[in-house]
Amino acid sequence: MDSATENLRGSFLYQLFDSMDLNLESDGNQNEQEQQKRHLHVLAVDDSHIDRKLLERLLTVSSYQVTCVDSGDKALEYLGLLENTDNDSTTSCSSSCCTSSSSLSPQQEASKVNLIMTDYSMPGMSGYDLLKRVKESSWKNVPVVVMSSENVPSRINMCLEGGAEQFLLKPVKLSDLRELQSHILNPLSNSCKHFDDSFVDDNTNNGSHSCKHFDDSFVDDNTNNGNDNNDNDSDKKNNNSNKRKAMSPDCSERRPKITELVVL
Amino acid sequence: MERTQMHRQLANMRKSLFDQGYLDEQFIQLEELQDDANPNFVEEVVTLFYRDSARLIQSIDQALDKSTLDFTKLDGYMHQFKGSCSSIGAKKVKSECTQFKEYCKAGNGEGCKKTFQQVKKEYATLKKKLEAYFQFARQVGPVETACRPK
Repeated sequence: MDSATENLRGSFLYQLFDSMDLNLESDGNQNEQEQQKRHLHVLAVDDSHIDRKLLERLLTVSSYQVTCVDSGDKALEYLGLLENTDNDSTTSCSSSCCTSSSSLSPQQEASKVNLIMTDYSMPGMSGYDLLKRVKESSWKNVPVVVMSSENVPSRINMCLEGGAEQFLLKPVKLSDLRELQSHILNPLSNSCKHFDDSFVDDNTNNGSHSCKHFDDSFVDDNTNNGNDNNDNDSDKKNNNSNKRKAMSPDCSERRPKITELVVL
Repeated sequence: MERTQMHRQLANMRKSLFDQGYLDEQFIQLEELQDDANPNFVEEVVTLFYRDSARLIQSIDQALDKSTLDFTKLDGYMHQFKGSCSSIGAKKVKSECTQFKEYCKAGNGEGCKKTFQQVKKEYATLKKKLEAYFQFARQVGPVETACRPK
């Protein structure tokens, strides 16, 4: 069989094992990571056709599988969260952008979306509304990233407080996805890690650290040194593109420093 | 050799688009997403931009034609348009959009109208330049465009 089919099989087996909660050890080498990413499915939500096209390309280039929808409602429908649909995963999504053709059981379907990336300002349901709905649902452990073209500190804060994994300023870049990678490329993303089990994302320009607490909360160790990286985009992005919520009480002094955000 | 000259000419065309402020870093991001399997990605995005935003421009024109201006509506349209400009790296157009939004916030109708003329002017200028660039690029054939302006 050709390599594409092999990958597909591997993907299905991986998801199957994942949903069965087996402890798949990953030695974390490059090849392994690339393989893992190919099994990772991102649901991208944006009302802008151009931004959907961009996001789809960005994610594909970064080796993720992508499904794009153009509204929060379509996203909920895809996730099986709309009130008038049953939880049968074979309920089809009417959006022409929906690539999912699921014949998996609801439990397997649940392992199919590994990350949700949503625009903030959308007509009807905003990205924040979608975030809240997801966090109140059976999908609450799926990381949600909110994107916006506007740098509004209170908005960023609100989304982080609402459970967003990260808040990205648009236009989203490849480097943003590389930073996201470390949050997502955890084979057992729903599991608890030991308190002092920290991981450093070597790909970031601003060297942010994170450690996962036993109760799945995050500590933001971001020391905001975005100004002295040698990347070309020394603009506002690097100061706040990695804002994550601080949930542990003893880390309150390390909350994202909103006052240092540059206003466009 | 003629081919080399054409390559150089294309590179110069590209460089001047950046030097003259028509394009910004985001355009390079688009170029980086292009590869052998998707050799026309940048042109596709730009084409989509001009197609999609024509509708928005029309909406803004119509909204500006009213006797009483709805600044919230105008700002909403412009927010979408500006977002698209930002996504393709249309630097000058985007900066006119920013100016327009400032006038909206200030409730300055005349300012909005004047600035929107500028928006449309920059939008049209960029379109012509990019069309010429892509057309020439097609003539020249596949070429490395990976020189990031530092």
